[in-house]
Amino acid sequence: MSYRVVHYINQFFANIGGEEMAHVAPELREGFVGPGMALNQAWKGEAEVVATIVCGDSYFAEHEKDAKAQILEWVKAQKPDLFIAGPAFNAGRYGYACANICAAVQDELGVPVLTGMYQENPGADLKNKVLIVSTANSAAGMRKAAPAMAKLAMKLMKGEPLGASCEDGYMNNGIRVNFFEKERGAKRAVNMLIKKLNDQPFETEYPMPSFDHVAPNKAIKDLSKATIAVCTSGGIVPKGNPDHIESSSASHYGEYCIAGVETLTSDAYETAHGGYDPVYANQNPNRVLPVDVLREFEKEGIIGKLHDYFYTTVGNGTAVASAKGFAMEYAQKLLEAGVHAVIMTST
Amino acid sequence: MESPLKICVITNNPLVVSGLPKQYLVDYADITYRQILVKVRDLVYAGYRLYTHPLSGSVKPNETPYKSVVVSRKPEKMEVAEAAIISASIETFDKFRPGKRELTAQIQKDFQLVDYALLCGALGLDAAAGLSIIANQKL
Amino acid sequence: MKLELGYIQITDIQFSKESKVENGTLFVDADAVKAFMYEDDDVKEWVKSFSFDIAKPGESVRITPVKDVIEPRVKVEGPGGQFPGVIAKVDTVGSGKTHVLRGMAVVTAGKIVGFQEGIIDMTGPGADYTPFSKLFNFVVVAEPKEGYEDHKHEYEHAVRIAGLRAATFIGELGRNVQPDSSESFETLGIKEGIEKYPDLPRVAYVHMLQSQGLLHDTYVYGVDAKRTLTTILYPTETMDGAILSGNCVSACDKNTTYHHQNNPVVAELFAQHGKTLNYVCNIITNENVYLADKQRSSDWSAKLCRLLDLDGAIISQEGFGNPDTDLIMNTKKIELQGVKTTIITDEYAGQDGKSQSLADADPLADAVVTGGNANQVIILPKLDKVIGMLDYVDTIAGGHAGSLRPDGSIEAEIQVITGATNEMGFNTLSAR
Repeated sequence: MSYRVVHYINQFFANIGGEEMAHVAPELREGFVGPGMALNQAWKGEAEVVATIVCGDSYFAEHEKDAKAQILEWVKAQKPDLFIAGPAFNAGRYGYACANICAAVQDELGVPVLTGMYQENPGADLKNKVLIVSTANSAAGMRKAAPAMAKLAMKLMKGEPLGASCEDGYMNNGIRVNFFEKERGAKRAVNMLIKKLNDQPFETEYPMPSFDHVAPNKAIKDLSKATIAVCTSGGIVPKGNPDHIESSSASHYGEYCIAGVETLTSDAYETAHGGYDPVYANQNPNRVLPVDVLREFEKEGIIGKLHDYFYTTVGNGTAVASAKGFAMEYAQKLLEAGVHAVIMTST
Repeated sequence: MESPLKICVITNNPLVVSGLPKQYLVDYADITYRQILVKVRDLVYAGYRLYTHPLSGSVKPNETPYKSVVVSRKPEKMEVAEAAIISASIETFDKFRPGKRELTAQIQKDFQLVDYALLCGALGLDAAAGLSIIANQKL
Repeated sequence: MKLELGYIQITDIQFSKESKVENGTLFVDADAVKAFMYEDDDVKEWVKSFSFDIAKPGESVRITPVKDVIEPRVKVEGPGGQFPGVIAKVDTVGSGKTHVLRGMAVVTAGKIVGFQEGIIDMTGPGADYTPFSKLFNFVVVAEPKEGYEDHKHEYEHAVRIAGLRAATFIGELGRNVQPDSSESFETLGIKEGIEKYPDLPRVAYVHMLQSQGLLHDTYVYGVDAKRTLTTILYPTETMDGAILSGNCVSACDKNTTYHHQNNPVVAELFAQHGKTLNYVCNIITNENVYLADKQRSSDWSAKLCRLLDLDGAIISQEGFGNPDTDLIMNTKKIELQGVKTTIITDEYAGQDGKSQSLADADPLADAVVTGGNANQVIILPKLDKVIGMLDYVDTIAGGHAGSLRPDGSIEAEIQVITGATNEMGFNTLSAR
């Protein structure tokens, strides 16, 4: 018996059409369509594409929720051993769709998933979440991409442990895996140095964690005339978490009015954060979002005014790109509201 | 190296209490390795200078229960680089799986000895001489 | 300075009444080795007994707890002798001719402290991770005298000296043997080098030495490295035992004396010397506990790199945690002098590989070679014979409760294996 695979492709690879047909709704077809043939050939009968889901890129982008629900239903019914999407190469919306539908299948159905795309495809933002094979930037790379994906897919279906990213051809997903190189470390170091000295490209074996240094603004001259806002990644929300901010990997932030609120009571506020012991934050939410002290400062004239709104999210495993996106949006609101400075608390 | 009169040893290692010359100030508490790091972090945040690396020694933090760190006796101004070192040390501590083993009395003594010797090395003291003095006192 | 190494390939070791090297076989009279070790007063004072064993590649043998690994060598021409300042008298080494008993090592083993560590498996999955499984090992197991508990410094010293003496004794057997092959290594003066290789980039090796204290020491010409300032060495000096290990902790990334004698960075830089680069010298710098020492030592590394007009440097590390700070300080300061760096380290990324690998980091460290994740879990099957003792396996670094299982197998992190994630780049192990 061979492994069962469901394949996801877009309208272009299903030969429906290009951009002009990107609006087509998802459809389920039996067996392979388009690039699925290359996968089947590589698997030589050990695994087979039993169904192909075709969806227009615009449709997925504009109706993501509906598209996901429909596709998940179909995938579930097929009881596959693996869900594979793409490869999307450098097609941005296709890559986005592949990565996101894979994430949904993995999270909701617990089915192993795999996709492939060019490393600069926006869909590759999910590389720490979904296994993504690194491909060339155009469909001309299909001849290489399909066998590479097929090989890694077979490993996943057999439940074999993954090799290091450079061995198995997937994008570095932040999990360090040991393997034996061909040359010893000292020789690799000398070769790397020679390249660096000759201004040739070289690849570090351990990319340093990236640091985003933000230059501080000029100090506020007179705090007593300043409007100060307070924001947090510590997950403080009105009791009941009305906007359903996730306890980890938050997808959005909340905006809440604290005009007239003297202190955050445990009756009215709580934390949505799932990454620390919430007892102390729930007992007294001011510990994370110090509204009580800021009100005192306001009364004593140390600060001019506490801004009427606070912005909050959960910083627990939340993607840096998402966090940046939230902040860019509400920073604009803060600017428009004439806020002079922000206190950002973390946990 | 700072004068012994300007430094304070934060430790949970009883051997350090008995093994340092009198002019050294030792702040001993029977707390965990991690609690020592946190205590040092709070001191550094309060402006005390950090004089020795909190992860001294290649003995992994989930193996040895003992840790000694040298800070200034009086607060100055917080040094960002030192705050970064102690914060990173706590993060490193946390990535090791907690040790579950029961340590025999002899192994505890050995861990105390290594921590003590590393501290002496940092302070420019002769650990072997210090230990001889302690051993002689016992006789 | 020019040194010729004459390699005598050892293909077997046997106990014998007479000590000699003949047709690639080392014959050893263990009693003579013992007598030679006991000639030292410290050894006499602290070591109760020695036992000897031989471990060959492929045998079902586990050696533990390993203290040091040493390659027997003997100076046959030129000034000085092996391990200057410790065994031979202080004299600048690194020139003339040295014979090397290749393919073998003296391994010292036995408990010093209760958490003593280091495993060399001669076969099975563990053997892939240690370079010493490929050698014929003459193993010296030391047993302390009563009352050593209060004198561990002295005992560690005695065992270190004993190992060096055993290697010296065996190395001496190669003095009059015709080497199977030989190789020459030459380092020119600064001006000569520039004149000879005007177009090649000038490269040095910044060699960081473990220097934190008891069980974490390195000696340079007999001087404790933590009492040294960053300085310059001819690369060939390390081949004659100028640097030796007193480091017993963190088996996977400690540099044994064998590593110092056969420093892979030195070898690979010599391989490119005169071709793609001009190998100028070694800069040795320590890894002290005191932060001001770190500051000073790394300042000096950077200063020497600039003074030597270097274009590039390879930096290697030793040990876990604290040295990450020295590594990053060195790298940052050297890069800021306009000298390009490549660094060699290893990682503690957690058993799941998901944690931050180093305790310190900087964007200027953009060219990193890794010796792998030391937290990787491995199962070492029961082997037929143990040289040394297993009673400490449960407590060695990377072991954890239950690591010695009832069937005799060991579940542990590769940290426990001697030399597994070496930070001089001795091995092919890596990680991504």
